Amino acid sequence: MQTRVPSAKVPSLPSPGAAAPSVHALGIAAAGALVLLAAAVLPLDAPPLSLLACPLRAATGIPCPSCGATHAFHFVMHGDPAAALAANPLAALGALLLAAHCVLTALRLCGLRFAPSLPRPSRKISRFLRAGAVLVVLANWLFVALRGAL
Amino acid sequence: MLESAVLARCPSCRNTFHTARTGRQDCPVCGKPLVVPEAPKNLIEQQGGTASAPALTPIEEPAPRPAGTPWERRDELGLWAAWTKTVSQALLEPGKLYSSARIDRGPAQLGFAVATGSVFLALGQILDHLLFARQREQIQLWMQQLSGSPSYPPWLQKIVESSSKSSILDTVLWSLLSPFMMLVFLYASAGLTHLCALLFGQNRRGFPATFAATAYAFAPLVFLVVPAGCGGLIGLVWCAVLTGIGLKATHGISSGGATVAAIAPYVLFCCAICALPFAVAAMVARRGAG
Repeated sequence: MQTRVPSAKVPSLPSPGAAAPSVHALGIAAAGALVLLAAAVLPLDAPPLSLLACPLRAATGIPCPSCGATHAFHFVMHGDPAAALAANPLAALGALLLAAHCVLTALRLCGLRFAPSLPRPSRKISRFLRAGAVLVVLANWLFVALRGAL
Repeated sequence: MLESAVLARCPSCRNTFHTARTGRQDCPVCGKPLVVPEAPKNLIEQQGGTASAPALTPIEEPAPRPAGTPWERRDELGLWAAWTKTVSQALLEPGKLYSSARIDRGPAQLGFAVATGSVFLALGQILDHLLFARQREQIQLWMQQLSGSPSYPPWLQKIVESSSKSSILDTVLWSLLSPFMMLVFLYASAGLTHLCALLFGQNRRGFPATFAATAYAFAPLVFLVVPAGCGGLIGLVWCAVLTGIGLKATHGISSGGATVAAIAPYVLFCCAICALPFAVAAMVARRGAG
């Protein structure tokens, strides 16, 4: 008697040599390109960007962790990394990562057979990474709040 | 140690993986600990040997894949019937909708969210413009009265002032941009929700599961068609609730974990999440302030 093992697709991260980008990679790149284009083209001191206001800040006076993100994206797209970091360091990093993702996805669409592969961390390491990420978000929030208070 | 790799199924994330050893180990997908038991003796004996027994599946066979939501089965149901059933299930029976959702149907989910959100956003814009065309003078009069009040926020003043001057052409032009806005809002919402799920340790099945939860949570955006901003408010609150229900079903997490992962983005990333209502207001305001 032969026991049949059903075949199953094991989810994995993209690896070097991977083929076309996934629908979510394309979607994130498209959405990211639109955001970066808007940040490059729209002026900060005119609508629609000048109409943006943080409800948390308006209600409590305390900025949210993403306050300053619009300015950070704007400054990244205008080649002013220092001003972008001063506005919101995490958002500036996010804008750079988004731009890198857009470029990589475009290259993959043009035939580049490479996708960055990240090793899967063990449970212990992922818990450590999670705690580190929470601390980074909190530190960024503190920075934004102190900058706003000064 | 097993003779060859066997197929195991993680009880936490329900993903399957191959392993060559038994005993305690971590799931390579979600990282949760699990135990792969030894192959049952009677099964091995039935196969005519002990050490050279062929690979067995120690954990139960994978559950059959869900059939898919009505929208994911639109080829057999028809486009209109599939859309209406999906929206009604999302609004009235979200548990049923999310339990039938397949996380490998990202393109279908993307299409549903962008189409639903952008069509009703555009319709709402046009209706709003047509219905309130005669009220503009009245709004301007109120604005003049309120502008002296210190409790009236300047940004709200700017929005209302500008919206009272927009033309139907502006409304139509900005309505044409609504699919792009919805695409951005969908991925921003899914990305921030997934980030919070990761931070709070609620990510079991990866980004596609979060995306499925977020995409079908766009169904209440049909209320954007209700003019004067009321529909948008109802739609956004309902959207947040559905995201939580969806995360619970698609990631297989607890109600508390799903609630935290769904609500946290609204608290932590207030500016980013609230960009949509402001963007909608800005669409109407463009002409007046430009």
